[in-house]
Amino acid sequence: MAPETNRPETALKAPEVLLFPRRVRAPEVPGLFRDIQRRAAEGPLTLDLREVEDFDSSTLALIHLVRGLFPNVETTQMRGTLARAAESFIRRPPPAGPRPAARRGRLGRLFREYAEAFLFNVRSVGRFLSMFGDEVYHLGVYLRERRGVYPGETWNQLFFMGYRSFPIVCLLIFLVGVTISIISADQLQLFGADVYIADLIGLAMLRELVPLMTGIILAGKVGAAITAELSSMVVLEEVDALRTMGVVPEKYLMVPRLLAITLAAPLLAALADVVGIFGGVLVAQVKFGMAPSAFLRQMMNSVGLSDFVWGLAKAVVFGWAIVVGSGYKGLTVGRSAEEVGRATTESVVLSVTLIVLIDCVFAFVLY
Amino acid sequence: MPIIETRDLAVGYGGVRVLEGVGLSVPEGRISVVLGVSGSGKSTLLKTLAGLLPPLGGDLLFAGDRVDFRSEACLRYLYGRIGVLYQGGALLNGLTLQENVALPVRMQHPDMPDGILRDMVHSALSQVGLAGSAAKYPAELSGGMKKRGALARALILDPDVVLCDEPSSGLDPITSASLDDLLLSVKETFGMTLVVVTHELRSIERVADRVFVLHDGGLHFSGEYADLAASEDGFIKTFFLRKGSHDDA
Repeated sequence: MAPETNRPETALKAPEVLLFPRRVRAPEVPGLFRDIQRRAAEGPLTLDLREVEDFDSSTLALIHLVRGLFPNVETTQMRGTLARAAESFIRRPPPAGPRPAARRGRLGRLFREYAEAFLFNVRSVGRFLSMFGDEVYHLGVYLRERRGVYPGETWNQLFFMGYRSFPIVCLLIFLVGVTISIISADQLQLFGADVYIADLIGLAMLRELVPLMTGIILAGKVGAAITAELSSMVVLEEVDALRTMGVVPEKYLMVPRLLAITLAAPLLAALADVVGIFGGVLVAQVKFGMAPSAFLRQMMNSVGLSDFVWGLAKAVVFGWAIVVGSGYKGLTVGRSAEEVGRATTESVVLSVTLIVLIDCVFAFVLY
Repeated sequence: MPIIETRDLAVGYGGVRVLEGVGLSVPEGRISVVLGVSGSGKSTLLKTLAGLLPPLGGDLLFAGDRVDFRSEACLRYLYGRIGVLYQGGALLNGLTLQENVALPVRMQHPDMPDGILRDMVHSALSQVGLAGSAAKYPAELSGGMKKRGALARALILDPDVVLCDEPSSGLDPITSASLDDLLLSVKETFGMTLVVVTHELRSIERVADRVFVLHDGGLHFSGEYADLAASEDGFIKTFFLRKGSHDDA
């Protein structure tokens, strides 16, 4: 018996019949679809669905898709559950038509996207600078009035930023000191200028490497923690709660962190100077047999107090950039949990970018 | 005179209006319940009433005075007269319960003597039955305890109005009922005004004096609880009394 179809017989050639098996579920669907594609390209095709008993939503989607894609493919009347399920599946509204924007030219869309991204970034920079100004104001007001911040919070933050960061900062700076010394020692030896390793290490450490590395380590450790903490507070409505308690969150949360970083960053940088130079001393002793006292005497010939002080000043500025950047990312986060992770990642990128940018400005101003 | 009044208020985020044309008046010394289905704008409206979200249109009046959302002084005045109980409690995780409850006093009255502050905190925590958990951190408290602690924090400066965002959500029926009792006792004892956002039917039946129903982007019903219970409106029957058909609305 020829299968009864749901479309009138119009083709001159008798349609080929593809008998669907009893079970058609997700594993079978891709193979069947390929088969239908191939056969539909050759001529009219009838899908015989009468045997199908074991099916899932992919089966229904296949029937729906094939009916839409291939005008020369017909299906037999379905039975029982499959008929009812297919009916409900097919009754779903068709996907919405293309949005007006999609009809525009590709170039136009691209231009619009870039323009929107540019405007968004300009607005973000504006908000960041505005927040920076607000924080300077809040800090000034706090130093004058000594209110609006939880007592002892600055010391908690100082403990976290300074004491907790001290081991990792020292370890990494020591390793950087050793690495730079080893690399430069080989080159200096070629010219018989071994003694100048002290000058090189002293200048590089005090002026550049220690503040930069300290800043980058703090961006990863302290900046990420600030953003994660503040953004979680936003998501959990703690920031809203502070506001309705009459507390200014931008002051309550940021001022202790700014004060703490102002103290912690130069302290860490000063300690890191010592450790980094110690790395250089160690390599000079091992590689050239240069006595530590000779190393330090030679270093003092080329390094002045201003190098040390500027290094500390750079560390403070980097610290401020980290705290304000991370705070900005934390306090402007959305309301969903996944945005906390995204904001944390972005805050590290922002902090490192700001540090490198500011370092570049320092290089122009100082050298 | 109503303690809170809105006139043709429109609220929403980023220019998208969630609610429009809302005109409600919250009577003093009573519990007003704002109810509606999920996404109807209950919490958004509460944020505007709390001074956290500027309205997209219309006016909010507190004790007869228009709230100017651009004026920091005006918002500070509003914050000084309201307390908010947030959905998850919103206790600060880095502080103990007693430090959390003391925070509004410390911030607004930094010269408050420690002895008085300690008594205030003890009294507030005793009212909510948490005097024994004062030294615990929020992470050590159950959901119900966090909400009671947050209520103590909202009450410590004796606000005129306490705004509660879904106080029963996520709580078992017994804890939820005890929180309702607490809200009733706050109203009875201190004559405080409470605005409670919820869709918990049991809570509404227990605590509501006045009810505002939000539906379809606006205020659908405003009236006494008794009127709501007797309402023949299709949506209210479907949502609130669970009978009739939604399509009748």
